[in-house]
Amino acid sequence: MTTYVIRRLLDLAFVLFGVSVLIFMMLRLIPGDAVAIMLGANIDITPERIEALRRQLGLHLPLHQQYAQWLGGVLQGDFGRSVWTGRPVADEIVGRLPVTLQLSFMALAFAIVVSFPLGMLAAGARGGRADAVVRLASIVGLTLPSFWVGVLLLYVTSMYLPAWPTIGYVPFVEDPVGNLARMALPTFAVALPMIAALTRILRSSLLDVLSLDYIRTGKAKGLATRTLFYKHALRNAMIPVITVIGVQVGYLLSGVVVIEQVFAIPGLGRLVIGAINERNYPLAQGVILVATVVFVFVNLVVDLAYAWIDPRVEYT
Amino acid sequence: MKRFALLVVACVGLAFAQTGTLELAVDSSPAGLDPHKVTAFSSFAVISQVYDGLLEINADLQLEGALAESYTISDDGLVYTFTLRDDVVFHNGRAFGAEDVVYSLERILDPETGSPQASRFNQVANAEAVDARTVVFTLTEPFAPFLSNMPNLYVVPREVVEEHGDLQQVAVGTGPFALAEVVPDTFLRLEANADYYRPGEPGVATLRYNVVPEASTRAAGLRTGTYHLIPDVDPTTALTLGSAPNVTLLEVPGLAYTLVGMNVTREPFDDPRVRRAINLALDREELVDGVFLGNAVPAGPLSEALTDWAVPTETFPCYAHDPAAARELLAEAGYPDGFEFTILTFGTRRDVADTAQVVQAQLERAGLNVTVNVAEFGTFVQDWSNSNFDAFVSLNGGNIDPDGYMHRTFITGGSTNVFQYSDPTVDALLERGRTTADVAERQSIYTELQSALACEGPIAHLNYGTLFSAHRAEVQGFEQIATGNLRYLRSVTLR
Repeated sequence: MTTYVIRRLLDLAFVLFGVSVLIFMMLRLIPGDAVAIMLGANIDITPERIEALRRQLGLHLPLHQQYAQWLGGVLQGDFGRSVWTGRPVADEIVGRLPVTLQLSFMALAFAIVVSFPLGMLAAGARGGRADAVVRLASIVGLTLPSFWVGVLLLYVTSMYLPAWPTIGYVPFVEDPVGNLARMALPTFAVALPMIAALTRILRSSLLDVLSLDYIRTGKAKGLATRTLFYKHALRNAMIPVITVIGVQVGYLLSGVVVIEQVFAIPGLGRLVIGAINERNYPLAQGVILVATVVFVFVNLVVDLAYAWIDPRVEYT
Repeated sequence: MKRFALLVVACVGLAFAQTGTLELAVDSSPAGLDPHKVTAFSSFAVISQVYDGLLEINADLQLEGALAESYTISDDGLVYTFTLRDDVVFHNGRAFGAEDVVYSLERILDPETGSPQASRFNQVANAEAVDARTVVFTLTEPFAPFLSNMPNLYVVPREVVEEHGDLQQVAVGTGPFALAEVVPDTFLRLEANADYYRPGEPGVATLRYNVVPEASTRAAGLRTGTYHLIPDVDPTTALTLGSAPNVTLLEVPGLAYTLVGMNVTREPFDDPRVRRAINLALDREELVDGVFLGNAVPAGPLSEALTDWAVPTETFPCYAHDPAAARELLAEAGYPDGFEFTILTFGTRRDVADTAQVVQAQLERAGLNVTVNVAEFGTFVQDWSNSNFDAFVSLNGGNIDPDGYMHRTFITGGSTNVFQYSDPTVDALLERGRTTADVAERQSIYTELQSALACEGPIAHLNYGTLFSAHRAEVQGFEQIATGNLRYLRSVTLR
């Protein structure tokens, strides 16, 4: 187990290296000269000013040298400085990360808490009315864009519950009630597609397991339906669900980016959108790299969770 | 008796004590706050509360005194003498004086600063603080628009610049509000300046700029009363807010205009007949309805908001939509079957992208074969500044003095003359326009220029859109200005 974790962490180093190259190249492949965007449709642009800014940002170097400089810094914990504010990128990220993590974990927890009963209900009532309703609702949930859901929720609450503070962000430590009140709608909007996906996968996975021989054997030897369902079927049905949770965390992060925009929440998503629009290379690279690390770690945790759920899984 | 009068003043002063927090919803955080360095509207929305210029622009687009109480201009138009107020202090407590004006001008003109405002003050040969209250500018040549640039001469304190290097992160001015707190991407908080020189202002104790990127979120926040005022509302949102309870919608004709720009070094746009034909083929009324939902007017080279200068668009013969005449003119120019070209544009502004599509359809009705290339904004700017286009559709900002926009745009080699337009008659008029002091004579020069440029210039001016703002019923005393400047925030009180 320990060797497995170490090996996975070594893999992580390779993944991050690949990702760092990809991020670096992709940002630079976006059409539009970074310096031209910064100077904008300014009336006093001279070739000298453009060249001076290019040097100041290190953009006059060949690409591989720019990359080496950046990577060298990152390996020493120096992500560079944000082009606009001049603040260290690491500081900018540390300021935003808690906001995005709170929203992501609340959405993840909410999705799990809601989807499990729904999935079990649908599987238990297979072919019945409850099953049909859950299946229909999950399709709707999957197809509604979270952006649209967010705007709709905002409008409905502003019409019918105008006293509910729905926009913006206050830190939890400053005002716990205000924080949760503002996080409720974005959490729901981000969690909705995940609830739908998890419910569907849990239902079908449960149905698969319930049709297996050992369940029939259990039933034949007189096990109570409850015990059979919760202890024997559910646990075995969990493996694909856990896998999907891992994958969904990736979608979750992208959903958070959009929802932060809608609800004016100052998280990593807002930071990265702004950074890409202004071609703030060091900032955009830093945020995407951090998001990648989070995603890869979540997947590692998911892989480790298999063993906890299914003791037959061994890591070598 | 005298004592009694003082007492009354003191009571009035107390009655005006600032209370309350005015919550604004704005679309983006200012990228920096140095009044001599930034160009973004989001930055100036804050800067205009913190800093003052020598003069300022009121709701009628006329100049008024700010830091300067009065001014005189010598008969030859070369010497401007400003008398400054003597009751102004910076937010750090130091008294403001003529030396600060000279320092600020020198900072703008210093190439090290790289100020985008520098070209406004190129004509200044010498600036001198004669005494604490008098500053004298001597120009190299008469420059009629000089006064109209005085609102941009934001006065900053030397010691703060020297301590911090620049003013992007700190802000110490003389304005009605002082910067108190910045939380990036969340809000900026400004507190009332207790020593502000205009009695009774500002009317609120705190100004909070909440950064809310989504237009629909800003609108929802205004409906619920989370926000008191949205300075800039797009036409679609304005439509929904117009009927909302307890919300007042304001509108003024803007100075910014949509346009088709043509590269006159490329065939067939080098032919004035083709440019006139494009104007004839365009239907500006249809653009008003289709793109702006009726909230715009057809545009001549100057906005009708500039009542002293603008020529009514009805007087331009090529503004009568006439595709048949356009076809005839094209045939005459040697293009009986039309021609093919690409319109460059960008997608980040809905009004611009929609305009490009409607323009494409209108020109195709006149027999032209138009491709629209919606480029990413950075690419657009790059191609635009390199004159790498056949034609483009975009949006340009305006200026209260006609020279401010026309000179740099139409003069041979001008800094925003990306069309590479060059016409000796126009050049001569533009130079005369800026060196002539007599207002009536200037007006006739700019009338001539507008007629010369409207139909055969490198720009087909399309529409001036209406600017909207919206505020809650409890907000009193706010006025909107066509330039988008928010100086009236200082008169706002909350009921």
